[in-house]
Amino acid sequence: MTKPKVLFVDDEPRILDGLRRSLRAKRGEWEMSFAPGGVPALEVLAAAAHDVIVSDMRMPGMDGAELLTRVSTQYPGVARVVLSGQAEADAAIRVAICGHRFLTKPTETETLTGVIDQLIMKTSRAHGALARRIAGTARALPTLPEQVAELNAALTEQDSNAARLPNAVAHDIGLTAKLLQLSNSMFFGARPKNAGIAAVVSAMGVPTIQALVAATDDHWSPTTWDPRTEEYLRSTWRHAVATAALVESVASPAHRPYAHAAALLQDIGALAALAGVAAGMPHHIDLDARECDGVPFREVGVELMHLWGLPAPVAAAVAERDTPHEAAEAGLGVTGAVRIAHLLVQGTEARDPADGTHEEELKALLAHPQMAARSCDWAAAADTASDRAGLLPAA
Amino acid sequence: MAKILVVDDDPSIRQLLTDVLEMDGHDVHLAVDGNDGLRLLELTRPDFVVLDVMMPGIDGYDVLKVIRSQEGDPTPVLMLTASADPGSAARGWVDGVDYYLAKPFTPDVVLDIVESVCGQQIATSDSA
Repeated sequence: MTKPKVLFVDDEPRILDGLRRSLRAKRGEWEMSFAPGGVPALEVLAAAAHDVIVSDMRMPGMDGAELLTRVSTQYPGVARVVLSGQAEADAAIRVAICGHRFLTKPTETETLTGVIDQLIMKTSRAHGALARRIAGTARALPTLPEQVAELNAALTEQDSNAARLPNAVAHDIGLTAKLLQLSNSMFFGARPKNAGIAAVVSAMGVPTIQALVAATDDHWSPTTWDPRTEEYLRSTWRHAVATAALVESVASPAHRPYAHAAALLQDIGALAALAGVAAGMPHHIDLDARECDGVPFREVGVELMHLWGLPAPVAAAVAERDTPHEAAEAGLGVTGAVRIAHLLVQGTEARDPADGTHEEELKALLAHPQMAARSCDWAAAADTASDRAGLLPAA
Repeated sequence: MAKILVVDDDPSIRQLLTDVLEMDGHDVHLAVDGNDGLRLLELTRPDFVVLDVMMPGIDGYDVLKVIRSQEGDPTPVLMLTASADPGSAARGWVDGVDYYLAKPFTPDVVLDIVESVCGQQIATSDSA
């Protein structure tokens, strides 16, 4: 078996020498190359397929953001790690759009090797390399036009109505994913533990959110989808928003933030695949089979979450969304709560048309003490969540 | 590694949990009753709390109420009860526990729960 290939890019020879020295112990496991800038880095990638690129940001000529943006379109199968000093705000946003993981210089060798080893692994057993290429293309995710309008309105209203922004963000699949990715990285400030999206929004600050919305808008939102795709996006969106709202009542307090994120991101793989098409990738999308080039959307989504370094309980709940769930006696956890919320929404107008209702399983899950102890009409709660999710932008 | 606060008036439970959790590399703090629990909650800011229901004075439900009134993202709580008592379990779920176990329990179950809540972060950053 060939060794995984890792490419390091930095314009300072001193830094490359330092990396070479500190990573000597990995020579038996990885095949490493070192390039002094963007142009030579692209030459290395053209000569041989690589697994991971680790790049500095500030370089003369082609800088890191431009290099990684090119890599995302020309070599989407290569995982992109940013290794950089603290960047200024606008540079940080460009980096945020093009990278998968973010590390700050100087970084512990163990941290760097840990991230690279993770990224060498792929989550899909059946379609590892293909799922990686489809997920790897995505820099940001498509959003519905009215969602962009709501975000912009919330941003301008920041002073008079501070609650509107976290609410608008919590309804946006792409932005929620991007914020979880960034907040998991020291590069953008300390990560709030087990954080809900409201905490992330407040930790990252309004200017960062503003810049991200603007950057995402640039990339994707005006894309005109064909009517069939738009209808699919709308129903996917409604199902996700309804499930996310409902899971807030289903999940126990400490599991709510991750359960909400998992419910919202359950179909992120479809969005990533469509983002690839919008960016000009020659994907074949089959909306009926929920596949991109023969890879199930869900596998693309789990691979994307892995690449972006989203919290593992969130990725696990998404991976298990379609798996019949047997609740643990001690509690439902994130995965159980998301599965129950999904099944409850299947009984409403916001159902995912590709899945059934699974009534027997739902009945068993609702009998779990965690659900039964709370006297709640779950079917009615699901209907309310479904109705409200039908009203976009978020009321 | 997670910072775990164990609140239980039974020394044998405290010992048992300390043994298994420390073996897994966790940082364990022990409170001998509800009052002590509230003090250490403030002092240690734990990532995870194991909480006995029946304690003299301030009981588990009272401590839970304080935990749930804290600002910021909610701390995960595993509640322990002396026996399989459906009434106390129901009250725990309503009051907002995340996990519920009846004594006697297998220590491995506690380890699995702590692992699933605190140990699964995909390490993406320099954060320790």
